[in-house]
Amino acid sequence: MVRLVDVPEPERTVIADLDCPAYSDTPAVTPVAATDRHVAILSTAGFIVRGERPMLANETGYRAIDDNVADGDVLCSHVSVNFDRTGFQQDLNVMLPRARLAELEQGGVIGKAAGTHYAFMGATGPSRLEDKAREVGRSMLALGVNTVVLAPV
Amino acid sequence: MSGLAHYLEDAGLATVIVALVREHIVQMRPPRALWVPYELGRPFGAPDDTGLQRRVLQAALALLDRTDSTPLLVDFDEEAPFAEGDPDWRFPGALDSNNPLAEAASVMPVWQLARERIGKTSVGISGLSPETAVEFIERFEGDAPMPNPKGMAPMSRARFAIDDIKAFYLESAMAEGGHPSSRQLQDWFWNETLAGALVREFQERARVSDNANLRLIASSLVPAERTIAFIEGRG
Repeated sequence: MVRLVDVPEPERTVIADLDCPAYSDTPAVTPVAATDRHVAILSTAGFIVRGERPMLANETGYRAIDDNVADGDVLCSHVSVNFDRTGFQQDLNVMLPRARLAELEQGGVIGKAAGTHYAFMGATGPSRLEDKAREVGRSMLALGVNTVVLAPV
Repeated sequence: MSGLAHYLEDAGLATVIVALVREHIVQMRPPRALWVPYELGRPFGAPDDTGLQRRVLQAALALLDRTDSTPLLVDFDEEAPFAEGDPDWRFPGALDSNNPLAEAASVMPVWQLARERIGKTSVGISGLSPETAVEFIERFEGDAPMPNPKGMAPMSRARFAIDDIKAFYLESAMAEGGHPSSRQLQDWFWNETLAGALVREFQERARVSDNANLRLIASSLVPAERTIAFIEGRG
């Protein structure tokens, strides 16, 4: 199961018919040079840190996952049951590749891997996330982040 | 996800999406996206395949070096390994099929092995132990429901208890490693365990319940294709 046509019904139709907002333009920041990149990952897996309140359906807030949180303490509270979790159960990096990002920093491919990554609850209407997305953007900029890899599930 | 990219770019951050649903990217036109041919839930390819994960990440970041005008959508064409699964895979233990609680107890030693092999667990989001989670669901809305610990509403506790039950079984299924596909693992859980049947029956009761709060969580318990209602043509 790797492409939309391979997703079983009835989920395939739900995904195909999802209402996608139209954006009037495609704002594009001019990226900095690779070795100057300070990169954070933003996931929509509904990640929480063990012990936190799980995220709920349609929640518009976000959670921060600091580097000192062990992989086993990152839990997935996403509302959807229609995506695979067995990969995540074996290896966080299949959803949140923070160890790979750290390796890219060590190898000089990027300037810096962020010390904090972020998670929203997917399956929430994008326009409902705008305020919090701008807020998390300000937090990233304050920490010196200039580049974001967005990772849906 | 594409909406988030627009907002973050607008705030001054350069973004790139590792995209699983190409059709959504085409519609929403985020500045840069790398489409990957992987199943939902695995944007970076495969667990423990550090090479593939790194190649996906580097290919995504490489889009930031392109000077083409945006929006930019590039396909990543490396397939995930072992997508077809392992026909020799079997659950690495013996299930006690007398009742769901006995079955969960028989899974426990296998889960302990899995925790040691994997080095972590994703069980724990409900705050209940795996066996308590099974009992919580068995008795939920019955004649003698279990008390709900403070800190989480009963319906949320039920939903996350089911998340924990699934994680408990599926992690156990991987106790000896190997390369079963996610579909193999799901087929096993939903078709061959009492826990799968318990959750599926709970979902069907929730779906038609008079309790609106219980109906609200019904869609977050069982994959749509595996619900009783869908299988019987009623969903």
